Amino acid sequence: METAAIIPAFNEAESLPNVISEIRGLFPDHLIIVVDDGSTDGTSDIAKEFGCVCLSMPFNLGIGGALRLGFRYCMDRGIDCAYQFDADGQHDPTQISSLLSELEHSDMAVGSRFATDCSYEVGQSRKAAMNFLRFLVRIYTGQRFTDTSSGFRAFRKPVIKLFAKEYPVEYMDSVEALLIASKNGFKISEIPVKMRERSAGQPSNRNFRLIYYFLRLLIVLLASTHKKKKD
Amino acid sequence: MSSSTHILIAVLALGALFLIVRLVRLKALKAKYSILWLTVGTALAVISAVPQILDWTAEKLDIWYQPTLFLLLAIGFLLLLAMHFSYELSRIENRIRILVEEISLLKEKLEKDD
Repeated sequence: METAAIIPAFNEAESLPNVISEIRGLFPDHLIIVVDDGSTDGTSDIAKEFGCVCLSMPFNLGIGGALRLGFRYCMDRGIDCAYQFDADGQHDPTQISSLLSELEHSDMAVGSRFATDCSYEVGQSRKAAMNFLRFLVRIYTGQRFTDTSSGFRAFRKPVIKLFAKEYPVEYMDSVEALLIASKNGFKISEIPVKMRERSAGQPSNRNFRLIYYFLRLLIVLLASTHKKKKD
Repeated sequence: MSSSTHILIAVLALGALFLIVRLVRLKALKAKYSILWLTVGTALAVISAVPQILDWTAEKLDIWYQPTLFLLLAIGFLLLLAMHFSYELSRIENRIRILVEEISLLKEKLEKDD
């Protein structure tokens, strides 16, 4: 069974070497795919230097676009199992195995920062936004998720196939991805994971843009009709 | 509308028609869009030449102030056009995205073969 790590990276040359070597150290047989989202700091050179598969996009498409390309590559190559991993070093590679073992009884596994009383701190406005999203996703999918925006996820082949074509490309892609997977009848499960502080780079969320993205997401929710889940 | 206004509109309409034809000939405007604008330009020219058309239609529709009809039609048309452009833009955005994916995959393949 071939497993791949999809690492979307936008100007993460500083933290990427560490992330790659940590994954390599723990899982030498995993294929590491770095999707360079139009970086200007030589992120793709680092990926090539480390002998990773490097998909470099000619300009920045955002994390959703980068992920979709990663899924597409996995699909073309017939990868059985893939997980998404942040290039900024906030994900803990020791948690990968528990995420992957979760795939034995579900199609998609989400690593949640909040499933247990872990120490991940977020600001007030982000907290409110996350609560609202959680509520929406719960109404829509009928399933309770504690962390809808987690970027630490693993997928089985059928989900990879779906996401290669339909992964949402706008910001807040992670929430929309949950909805799409659920709509297509895939079983999603959530497990608690530990996260670290960001080791380098800037957080990609800006509060003043949140309202716009919220509205967009609401429209997406309203526009898509809820389908009954397959058993 | 006074006759001088009609002359102004006629001149503008003819100017617009001339510009459209020129742009199409320079291949700066796609023929499919030019049809649209040519139609609008012609309609404007006709209305300015024979303003009775507008008066007559307004009367039939019980519109008391004729220019209202003209503005209503203009706004309606522009709204539809803007919607059409948003649609085209969405489609083009999607296509560019797919092209970017293809290019990146091909680039990776090329570099691997080297």
